[in-house]
Amino acid sequence: MNNLIVFDSIPISVPKDRVYKRLGYQRDKTRLSSRQRIEIEQYIQDSLKFIDLKGVAKRIVIKEKNNFEIIFAQDSTFESKHLAALLKDCCEVIFMGVTASKEIVQQIQMNSSQGDLTKAVVFDAVASEMTDVSLDWIMNYMNQQLCRENKTITRRRFSPGYSDFILENQRVLYSALKLDKLGVTITSDCILVPEKSVIAVAGILERVKGQGTRVKE
Amino acid sequence: MRDKIKKLLQQKILVLDGATGTQLQKRGMPQGVCPEAWCLENPSVLEAVHVDYAQAGADIVYSCTFGANRFKLEEYNITNVSQMNEYLVRLAKRVVAGKALVAGDIAPTGRFVKPFGELDFEAAVEVYKEQVKGLLAGGVDLFVIETMIDIQETRAALIAIREITDKFVMVTMTFDGVRTLNGTDPVTAVVTLQSLGADAIGCNCSSGPRDMLKIVSAMKPYATVPIIAKPNAGIPKLVGSESIFDMEPLEFASFAPEFVKAGVRMLGGCCGTTPAHIAAVSEKLKGTQPVMPVCQSVSAVSSVRKTVVLNKDSFSIIGERINPTGKKVLKEKLKQGDLSVVRTMAAQQKEDGAHLLDVNVGMAGIDEAKTMVSVIELLSVITDLPLVIDSSNVEIIEKALRLYPGRALINSISAEEDKFNKLLPLAAKYGAMFVLLPLSSKEIPVTADKRKKIIEGLVKEAAKYGFTKDDIIVDAMAMSVSADSGAAVETLKTIEWCCSDLGCHTVVGLSNVSFGLPARKWINAAFLALAKEKGLTLAIMNPAQAGAEVDQKAVDVLLGKDRNAAEYIANFASIKNKEKEIVAVSESLAQDKVFKAILEGNREEIKSIIEEARALGVAPSLLIYDTMIPAITKVGERFDRKEYFLPQLIASAQTMKLGFECLRKYIKEGSLDGEKIILLATVKGDIHDIGKNIVALMLSNHGFKVIDLGKDVSAEKIVSEIKKYKPAVVGLSALMTTTMVNMKPVIDLAKKEGLSVKFIVGGAVVTKSYAESIDAGYAKDGVDAVRVVNSLCQ
Repeated sequence: MNNLIVFDSIPISVPKDRVYKRLGYQRDKTRLSSRQRIEIEQYIQDSLKFIDLKGVAKRIVIKEKNNFEIIFAQDSTFESKHLAALLKDCCEVIFMGVTASKEIVQQIQMNSSQGDLTKAVVFDAVASEMTDVSLDWIMNYMNQQLCRENKTITRRRFSPGYSDFILENQRVLYSALKLDKLGVTITSDCILVPEKSVIAVAGILERVKGQGTRVKE
Repeated sequence: MRDKIKKLLQQKILVLDGATGTQLQKRGMPQGVCPEAWCLENPSVLEAVHVDYAQAGADIVYSCTFGANRFKLEEYNITNVSQMNEYLVRLAKRVVAGKALVAGDIAPTGRFVKPFGELDFEAAVEVYKEQVKGLLAGGVDLFVIETMIDIQETRAALIAIREITDKFVMVTMTFDGVRTLNGTDPVTAVVTLQSLGADAIGCNCSSGPRDMLKIVSAMKPYATVPIIAKPNAGIPKLVGSESIFDMEPLEFASFAPEFVKAGVRMLGGCCGTTPAHIAAVSEKLKGTQPVMPVCQSVSAVSSVRKTVVLNKDSFSIIGERINPTGKKVLKEKLKQGDLSVVRTMAAQQKEDGAHLLDVNVGMAGIDEAKTMVSVIELLSVITDLPLVIDSSNVEIIEKALRLYPGRALINSISAEEDKFNKLLPLAAKYGAMFVLLPLSSKEIPVTADKRKKIIEGLVKEAAKYGFTKDDIIVDAMAMSVSADSGAAVETLKTIEWCCSDLGCHTVVGLSNVSFGLPARKWINAAFLALAKEKGLTLAIMNPAQAGAEVDQKAVDVLLGKDRNAAEYIANFASIKNKEKEIVAVSESLAQDKVFKAILEGNREEIKSIIEEARALGVAPSLLIYDTMIPAITKVGERFDRKEYFLPQLIASAQTMKLGFECLRKYIKEGSLDGEKIILLATVKGDIHDIGKNIVALMLSNHGFKVIDLGKDVSAEKIVSEIKKYKPAVVGLSALMTTTMVNMKPVIDLAKKEGLSVKFIVGGAVVTKSYAESIDAGYAKDGVDAVRVVNSLCQ
């Protein structure tokens, strides 16, 4: 059950509403001229030439857990009250990692430092949102696979750095997911490089323990 | 047996079984075990499940081999794949033979196949072949490939079966909403898989009957084969922390008539369904006559995520740009294995209106086979446009067809015997459409009449392999009018005949017609208009030229009315460039334009607008203080009120900066002295700097001189630069919790060194209270930073 699943290309569309929202767009307040909209839409399209979404996922069995920590089969431990609460009813978890490629990050940096900062912020928003939606996609994929086992996945996920799940946990997850295979490295400050890379943890729940589906016959 | 099942499907709706896994769990299978192995250890339990479904009325039961492929079994350290499949089929046959047929169940390997994952396509085919052999040894009556989300993995399974046996094959994919998770829509699944040899196609799992009806209804207009539906027992509902399926058998079965109306001829159940559900469906379907497909053949090509349907009323463009002939940069890049230009060309052609992309990488110095595979893998991922496989090499076409995860179009198959004898069976095997090129080994036919004969002969040959006229696109052979003034007329006649008499679609390589003439786009545009009038379906062309106007003089050349194109050439030579429109503007209007340009973020025109204002005598100081600063202030106000969002704020700020740069040459040396210096840096360990760059831009637009030290800057370096530049304020940025802590050491070190400079901090994780705790000012964004820095400077 510890096989690493590699997704060489995650087929998602640009979540435009999320991109606009991330950039501060408010449907009832923000006014955009047609020239400005065309420009932003063009940047969104341009960004896709540099975004190459890849991901990995891995199922891990929980060995032990209490209200404060979760211990996995390989003896790695996460200390986090909030994560422990999320995984309360789970006996397995899914570790997931996604990267949007170094090319998009290079483009963001190039445009940010010497070119067009407007383009850079739009590229940045598209890459961030697509990375996040890729994690949704992996969770959906895992859910479809788990359906056959009468299991499902928690609706929420946790990423290191969120709440009391400290960023240093990124190192354990990075290593378990072998993110180096996707060209991702990790700095001494636990930052993933390329920057548009994200790791997350979600729990696996049984639909109804030991009974199969609850259908009246 | 294949024909027997096909015949049965003409007479009745075949009932399929329901969920197996949950039935096994209910009857004692523990969680976490390998279901296939557990069934072999507890055969009576599985036998009972099969018997219950057969007694409930299932005409077909699935063998319990969903996860019996090498990769899935490896997870449980099981290696006897073939034997396990054989035994599980035998077990099913033993208890249901005579009552129901047994379908050998094949499902995802759990790995992603190239180009979407790391598993080689051929490795996937081999894994499935291993399972297929076991299922055959057990005596399956037919096969079912089910719960697939990846069309490429589905193709691998289907090819594996088709290369071993001609038994009936059902294929069902799992749709999450209106697409599979890998992005394939129902129509594309149907078009791709029925052409590849699936005998019945449909969907299972993921949705309840109501949502699945929408999917099968979308499939119906394009399905030439029976449609399958195996919905879940409703949509899972969350009860506490558990989710359950709760649709009862009678409600589930009540959807059966609607499924039949939507074209379903094989109906069963998936997750949450039980023998009771299947019994209810069977009862409901008694005496129901199947609805036959609405079409016998479909003229359509597909990619992973899109289908392009060809019909007489629509015209489609095949983008011709991915071809190294005459393109030096592309050729060099392909030689180096660099596909960046291909990537850009594909995106550009789509933007310009292409519906399909031609892929031709044959040229001296390029490894055509290797490059074709790489390009197809890349394009399958980055574009949704279906591909046209363009090569003169049969082996390369085969490689491409095998790997292409959709229904491809081959460009082309000619009447040269050695070619069509090899290519027609290949096109048939992989279900491709093809461009029929009316060339024989003996001649290049010049007249339409000669072309017709060759076309008719090749269409007849193709029919022997099962091709219909919907699968064929005739190349009407556009040839240069500069060499033969009657060439275009013959091509037009060929198009007209194909369209009205033969009933085949047509294509031309558009630019061939203008070869050797000047201003080729006029000839191309005119020819395209004439050809469309005759019924042309597709053109291989540069899509950027699709909207070109039609010139009557060019039309005359094509219709043979302008001998040697003499008038056309003379007219072209006399065309002069249109004079540019000159608009006079008043001084105040010029200022308004500058103001508006900043408000609009018009970076492209700000410099010329400023120069225009200067030419009208507007003073630089008037532009800066009365126009530009009020404009950027207004932008800031709009941003604060959320009327502007971040890209607008930055575009305006960039416009302002460009305006300043343009005005610098008009401002006396030293008149801008006295600007306060602001030092900015992203602290040590942090590599994020976009926010800091926005702040730098905003500050520089408000009269500050910004020294940007970059990112990942140590405390020592920042302090040493403070000593050097003596800034009024130092701005520190950090995005992560782990790097935010590096702000304090900078401030502490500055204090230790006796520097009394003020600090401002910002970044995603930085808060006002944190800033106060380290004795720094705080700004939430670029506009706020200007305000805070102004107040710190007072």
